[in-house]
Amino acid sequence: MLWVDKYRPKALDKVIVHQDVAQNLKKLVTEQDCPHLLFYGPSGSGKKTLIMALLRQMFGASVEKVKVENKNWKVDAGSRTLDLELTTLSSTHHVELNPSDAGFQDRYIVQEIIKEMAKNRPIDTKGKKGFKVLVLNEVDKLSREAQHSLRRTMEKYSASCRLILCCNSSSKVTEAVRSRCLNVRINAPKEEEIVEVLEFIGKKEGLQLPFGFAARIAEKSNRSLRRAILSFETCRVQQYPFTNNQLIPAMDWEAYLLEIASDIMKEQSPKRLFQVRGKVYELLSNCIPPEIILKRLLYELLKKLDAELKHEVCHWAAYYEHRMRLGQKAIFHIEAFVAKFMSIYKGFLISTFG
Amino acid sequence: MRKRTKPIVVVSSSDEDDEKQHHTHNYKSSLLTSSSSSSVPPRSKKSKKAPRLSSSCSKSRIDSNPFDQVKLFCEGFDDGFTGFQVLAEEKNKKKELWVDKYRPRTLEELAVHKKKVEEVRTWFEERLKKEKQENNNHVLLITGQTGIGKSETVRVIASHLGAILYEWKTPTPTIWQEHVHNSGSGIRYTSKLDEFENFVERIRKYGLISSSDKKGSQKTHFLLIDDLPVISGKVSYERLRCSLHLLVQSIRIPTAIIVTDCGQSDSADYSMRCWEELQLSIQSAGACKVAFNPITVNSIKKTLSRICREEHKKVTTEQNDLIAKASGGDIRHAILSLEYLCLKPNPMLSLSLSDGNPTYPEVRSELDDGNLLPFGRDETLSLFHALGKFLHNKRATQNSVASDNGAFCLKDQYMRSPLNMDAPEKVLCQAHGQAKTVTDFLHENVLDFINEEAIDDAWTVSSYLSDADTLLASLGGLLIRNYEASNIVQSAAASVAARGVLFGNTHPLSSRWHAVRRPRMWQVEKSMWHNKREMVSQRSVPCNGMNLTDFSIITTEWRPSLKWLGFKASHSEAVHGVPINGSIVEDGGYDDPMCIDEQSAQTTDDEIEDW
Repeated sequence: MLWVDKYRPKALDKVIVHQDVAQNLKKLVTEQDCPHLLFYGPSGSGKKTLIMALLRQMFGASVEKVKVENKNWKVDAGSRTLDLELTTLSSTHHVELNPSDAGFQDRYIVQEIIKEMAKNRPIDTKGKKGFKVLVLNEVDKLSREAQHSLRRTMEKYSASCRLILCCNSSSKVTEAVRSRCLNVRINAPKEEEIVEVLEFIGKKEGLQLPFGFAARIAEKSNRSLRRAILSFETCRVQQYPFTNNQLIPAMDWEAYLLEIASDIMKEQSPKRLFQVRGKVYELLSNCIPPEIILKRLLYELLKKLDAELKHEVCHWAAYYEHRMRLGQKAIFHIEAFVAKFMSIYKGFLISTFG
Repeated sequence: MRKRTKPIVVVSSSDEDDEKQHHTHNYKSSLLTSSSSSSVPPRSKKSKKAPRLSSSCSKSRIDSNPFDQVKLFCEGFDDGFTGFQVLAEEKNKKKELWVDKYRPRTLEELAVHKKKVEEVRTWFEERLKKEKQENNNHVLLITGQTGIGKSETVRVIASHLGAILYEWKTPTPTIWQEHVHNSGSGIRYTSKLDEFENFVERIRKYGLISSSDKKGSQKTHFLLIDDLPVISGKVSYERLRCSLHLLVQSIRIPTAIIVTDCGQSDSADYSMRCWEELQLSIQSAGACKVAFNPITVNSIKKTLSRICREEHKKVTTEQNDLIAKASGGDIRHAILSLEYLCLKPNPMLSLSLSDGNPTYPEVRSELDDGNLLPFGRDETLSLFHALGKFLHNKRATQNSVASDNGAFCLKDQYMRSPLNMDAPEKVLCQAHGQAKTVTDFLHENVLDFINEEAIDDAWTVSSYLSDADTLLASLGGLLIRNYEASNIVQSAAASVAARGVLFGNTHPLSSRWHAVRRPRMWQVEKSMWHNKREMVSQRSVPCNGMNLTDFSIITTEWRPSLKWLGFKASHSEAVHGVPINGSIVEDGGYDDPMCIDEQSAQTTDDEIEDW
């Protein structure tokens, strides 16, 4: 088992980061009624961990008995019936799913499937009607229509069903949904907190951590706890005992993007642009999300750039990121950004060095 | 075709001429048994007519039996029939179309390329020789676009070899309304596919039982399957495929199956792909394939001038040329156009011919302009040509740009010399380019055509392509049901892409040879979907089955670290099959219809792959 899973706190009492949030959630649940919840925050900040711990707090250990199902749904959409396939993870008390997996058909998922689930209320031991919890991941990727129907579902079945929504950015969730939920912001953990967690794991594993080593990992992790723990484990596999100047391996796609960035800096020509396209294809075909590619590429490029160009480059990156979200084929927009960068940079080089 | 007539289905034809013929024919066949001699004037043709009479007699008898779909096509029948036709013509004052009149009778008359004819003929001859021996391969698959003489070749060869050609023709359509109308009369509705399946079943079990030639049973038989039932959707495709497969494997009579290829540019269509797969499956069942090419302009011209001679019509060589070129290798169409042209009273032409005077150049110039052509199809371009035009970006030379832009001045950077081609929209229209395909192709190839120094141009171009993509994506949402709007958006996007490429590339490379590649994006998309599905299916693995992870996290964090950790060793069954990062799934999935995703199916296009 990976350390990330091994040392994932199971109960709200055991969490190391976000203790305050955990305590509040505990109080909220012990008072019996639980509103709909919207967890948002950057990735690797512990949203999922908190949700699982919260579910355990509500229903006890039985939520951990889960089964994964690949269900086929037949949804009646007006004139035709749609066949949708969706992976769900469910226990007796909760169902977790990623509605945005259905792509542009997510609306039907939200309308039909959630409706159906919400209808089947479990009955608890005392014969009282309990409620079921639906955990929806990546709500920010839902289409607008889907979010609208989500709103309706929330109102209609609020008696029998609680929704826990989880997303990275609440700005992409419609106001209507947001106002019906208790919004819980989960910050990215501070570096000290990450260090604390790493040291805790190190102690449990019986590892000798040289001074400052955990801090270096934390610094590299971009304030993502998951990332930090993963690279901690990687380091452990790579070399133990740790040395202070040990290299902390980057993710392979990041290394690849670094390579692309230096390619771009070295030469600015259509031919080079074509090579860059090939490399971006490589990343895309490995399902690295295009937004992340663009973001990371910008990050790498900015590191090497003169201050006076940074503003303009950022502007164009934002422009093409927006385009990319509007468009379908990410490569067009990433490439346009790269071309624009090349054009700017070449102009800059010519004007400075002649 | 008159020969196709069947007494039961007379009701179906709404066309008046057809109706008449059906009636006459019907009338005849009902008469034949009792008083045929009275209706036929005594002629020397009587001897020839004998087989025909017997055949049609038997035909009318066997109409209710299952073998009615197999049509007799032997020479004697044909001759006898034409004998009758003369009679009918006298009655109807109706002339035969040239297409039928100048149907090739001998091998020499065929406009098809000699080699292809020879290929088919040797194939049939070999079957004849080895007929007694055990031979698995009894089916010949002939493909090619429409109107290039596929069936005619088989017919002529059959008559050349003195064989009787039986032909499967899809029975006259029983349309639904008609069925409803006739439902009282006990005729059951059967789909064409059902009928074809039945036919295959029978032919496999019993072979051809020729009801017509009791005496001439020494003759050999060929079977021609020309008109395969239309398929729509996976189920019917599968049924047709199965029955064809059975047919190919079990038939003992030399058989030619003809599949008509449709234009390459439309092959993105699902049903087109079906036909291609069907051909492959027929071949894999052991059939031999001969692909016919479009007929060359020269041999069309030859045929046309022969017809002109025989019809005593004066048609200029220019006109012949034009018809031949416009026909796109479709000889049937060319002959039809020719007939139409000769039919048309063309005062100008006759004037010019009689005078031999200066009016002639005018006519000529009119004919030269493809748009004013009174016949022929619209000019089409292949997608390839259109792309070439956009990419090579041919423009008028600098000096021809006079200072005629007095009306409003553009800045220097926006000035471009006039295009050396039709408007891009027109080119797109001629190429039947779908916006998506065109954009993808342009995107893939445009960088090759941009000057090495001109990175600014590259940016302009890619920025326009990005615009085009944004336009195309706007279809995905609410517009999806509004076809008109989506049409406009499509053409706007294609236009933005094409014009963007033309405008942006200010310093096009001097023309040299460039191969136009198939967009790699399609392959990338496909392997992306493939990888994604694989990962989604095991999404719960990372978190120890406790919860579902966001997809982006799997790709960006879990998989790389799992790789680092050599996770595979310990949990090989759990993560088995995750492709190693950095590798693209090989492009082998096209043959497997199950593997093609919805999204990628829209974009894959096997035809273009060959380029």
